[in-house]
Amino acid sequence: MGGPAGRFLIRRSPCFLEASFVIGIAAMRANSWRRTLRDPALFATVVTLWALLALFILFPLANLLARTFIEGGHFTLANLGAILRDANHRQAFWNSLLLAALVGLCGTILGFLYAFTAVRANLSRAWITVLDAASLLLLISPPFTSAIAMIFSFGARGLITYHLLGIKGFTVYGLHSTLFSETFTYFPIAYLTLKPILHGIDPNVEDMAFSLGSSRWRVFRTVTLPLTIPGLANAFLLLFAASLADFATPLILAGNSFPVLPTQAYLQITGLFDLKGGAVLSFVLLVPALAVYLLQRFWVSRRYYVTITGKVGAQTAIKSVAPWARAPLLCACLLVAGVILYFYALLFYASVVVALGANHAWTWQHYRVIFTEGLKAIHDTLIIGGAGMPLGGLYGILLGYLVAKKIFPGRQAMEIVSMINYALPGTIVGIAYLIAFNDPPLVLTGTALIIVACYVFRYSPTGIRATVALLQQIDPSIEEASESLGASSGTTFRRITLPLILPAFFAGLGVVFIRSMTAISATIFLVSINWTLITVRILENMTELSLGPAAAFSILVVIIVFVVIILISGLLRRFRAAGVVEMTSILGG
Amino acid sequence: MSAIGIRIESVSKRFAHRVKGEVYAVRSVSLTVQPAELLTLLGPSGCGKTTTLRMIAGFEQPDSGRVFIGEQDVTGLMANQRNIGFVFQNYALFPHLSVFENVAYGLRVQRQPEGDISRAVSDVLALVGLQGYERQFPNQLSGGEQQRVALARAIVIRPRVLLFDEPLSNLDAKLRVHMRGELRELQKRLDITAVYVTHDQEEAMAISDRIAVMHQGAIVQEGTAEDLYRRPASEFVAQFIGRTNLLAGRVVSAGPGGIEVDVVGQRIRVSDDGTRAGLGQTVHLVVRPEVIELRPEDSGAGVPGTIVSRTFLGEKAEYEVRVGTDLLQVASYNPVQRGLFPVGQRVTLHFPTEGIQLLSEGSA
Repeated sequence: MGGPAGRFLIRRSPCFLEASFVIGIAAMRANSWRRTLRDPALFATVVTLWALLALFILFPLANLLARTFIEGGHFTLANLGAILRDANHRQAFWNSLLLAALVGLCGTILGFLYAFTAVRANLSRAWITVLDAASLLLLISPPFTSAIAMIFSFGARGLITYHLLGIKGFTVYGLHSTLFSETFTYFPIAYLTLKPILHGIDPNVEDMAFSLGSSRWRVFRTVTLPLTIPGLANAFLLLFAASLADFATPLILAGNSFPVLPTQAYLQITGLFDLKGGAVLSFVLLVPALAVYLLQRFWVSRRYYVTITGKVGAQTAIKSVAPWARAPLLCACLLVAGVILYFYALLFYASVVVALGANHAWTWQHYRVIFTEGLKAIHDTLIIGGAGMPLGGLYGILLGYLVAKKIFPGRQAMEIVSMINYALPGTIVGIAYLIAFNDPPLVLTGTALIIVACYVFRYSPTGIRATVALLQQIDPSIEEASESLGASSGTTFRRITLPLILPAFFAGLGVVFIRSMTAISATIFLVSINWTLITVRILENMTELSLGPAAAFSILVVIIVFVVIILISGLLRRFRAAGVVEMTSILGG
Repeated sequence: MSAIGIRIESVSKRFAHRVKGEVYAVRSVSLTVQPAELLTLLGPSGCGKTTTLRMIAGFEQPDSGRVFIGEQDVTGLMANQRNIGFVFQNYALFPHLSVFENVAYGLRVQRQPEGDISRAVSDVLALVGLQGYERQFPNQLSGGEQQRVALARAIVIRPRVLLFDEPLSNLDAKLRVHMRGELRELQKRLDITAVYVTHDQEEAMAISDRIAVMHQGAIVQEGTAEDLYRRPASEFVAQFIGRTNLLAGRVVSAGPGGIEVDVVGQRIRVSDDGTRAGLGQTVHLVVRPEVIELRPEDSGAGVPGTIVSRTFLGEKAEYEVRVGTDLLQVASYNPVQRGLFPVGQRVTLHFPTEGIQLLSEGSA
């Protein structure tokens, strides 16, 4: 879920930019090796970070590739061939791409509808808050919340299909409901990507088109939409990647008739105990995932139009939406929000009745179950999330600070490597960890450490990016000012730089914690009898058809995450009050 | 504490440029700033003035040459060991600290006692007219107020010298004029040596004791504002300081008292400052727009011309006048009383016989 959702405006005078550009190049030319060796603290930090990156990112990935391509010490394509010859696997590959493309398309349309309505329809603050809240709710829930609600509504004894409409034998499983559920789960990414872009289009540009005699529809078609195209492409690719990587939704909703790669890989390992087959399948998944990531990162994200030119023009009323069109736009958005709200209401309802669809008597029994039988999962999840939180936050600002501010050999490589686990689908990361840490030299399977490491290295890139973005926003003259007042570089870092990047620290640790609560695709391969997770328990409950506890667990996760978000945004607000730049969204990354 | 001077000796700084390869930002610049003097480095963007200032501050290390503050060689010292006050173009206030803490920062670094710090901060905030702002944050202040905080923060540590990097360029025009007066007054009151960088010639002329004009990494001329205006040493300086007509002419007589030059059909007497231009040689004259007088056609001797354009600016009117193939700029002061010439009118131009400067050959 990368991308420019949390984008920052960089405030610098053009003259300074020019100077810093020249200085930057000069510095690059300087002998970076000698400089690094002369600064022992920098040297030690760089070496430590490289060791960690090698161990927890490169080593597992190398193991995965070795398992796929090396047999008895020789390179071979036989494993890959065997998997690709299987019609079922080939079908899964094409299904994955089809599903991802459809989710990308539908989610982008929905996200654009949301963003356009929020930015351009002259809504009051309250309506925009409603739209934001609806999309935020989806971002903070476990990824399969909507899938569970789909089963409750449209399953064999679903509330809507069976009870309301009286349809018997309606199959919820398949492409249609997976697509529906994933579109709803992931469209907020498109919304968060497109909103700042639409916001960045100066209404004066539209005014100009109006003044030249264009109609509203023509302005939309010839000005607004073309300026948004790079953003739309970006949103599409982000959604494509998210759907490609999604594991839990298809596991619950896709069924046997619609196999996709992540679930195939999972079943290969847990069902058939075929580690090699799982490795090869996840390699097959890696190829499109990597292609989409590279396309998004290095092609689309560089094609943004800059419409913010110099001084912001006079404030103008936004006229892009005709008064009569406002109501339908808002209604469409509210319909979507209504569905989301319905999902959650249903989830809550399912958690407080004996058995949804059969016995609607009020009960707390499911909560009693999760706090007795399920207590270990809650306990384990909180310990793992609590341990990953400070580690992830620290790792994020340390690496972000190094790549943004220091010059040392392999700096760019470090930044790229640190993003790998974030860019790869969780299934791949999970299988890679499983293969790498199952045998000596380093046996970590079954420990909490492997789960914590997985979360830290998979979800810290948000903190890294936030740190880099904040540091780019801090003009170097601020540090020079400190130096000119007699402060040493250590004092400057402690008293000036560190307080200014603290928001990135909070954002980083917040994301690591939230994902520890909600993620499943990687860690489902890493849980054990000793250490388990709430999300894994939810999935187990779903497959055992104990839907009540699954609903109760989901509600618990939403509440915990909600509390953590409130705490963190409180911290962020405290720092913002002191004049520090805004962090647009800690969930953007 | 009496003021001390600054001396830089043949300082050079090279940068790697993406297109041009290695380029000199500053090439062998030497400069002496007298104690308590305010010297301005003036030049267009990219001339090396800011790089020179940053080398005095210690933010850049020169590739060669030496920097002295007082008698101390500070070339190898970091900025935090030089005891300087630096005022940045963008103010560079610490956004997470209050006005009080911003100003107190340097004193806290020196580990001064708390009582001294609050007294010194109060005093300096009073000096810049910001009493009562202690608890505000930088983002709550206007541009002018931020500039005063930046100034207070720089002077509270009692630096040996003050360095200004285009400190007024982010303010609007009226405030800029007001603040430069305040800066100048403060610098005199503190009796401190200052180096000031700007690209605005009017600002430079208003604020400085002396001006060093920089061009392509080198100082091309140093002097008071009047020196530079009256006796520019090169076409660049003549064009950069004020507006000018640069007229080519032929020397028609040369004597011990000066030379006579034939310009646009008029003989003009010029005092020769030792250029020793020979008879028949081509020379260039710096004729400022305001020294040319316009009179109606046929008003005695003078050069005939035609008004091509007119700009009325209140206290003066600016004309472009075609003389033969040349286009001359002429400024006429007090136009409301003296009357305006319409575009297309034929006029006579009268040149003064004194006060016209000869540009030395080769520098034109």
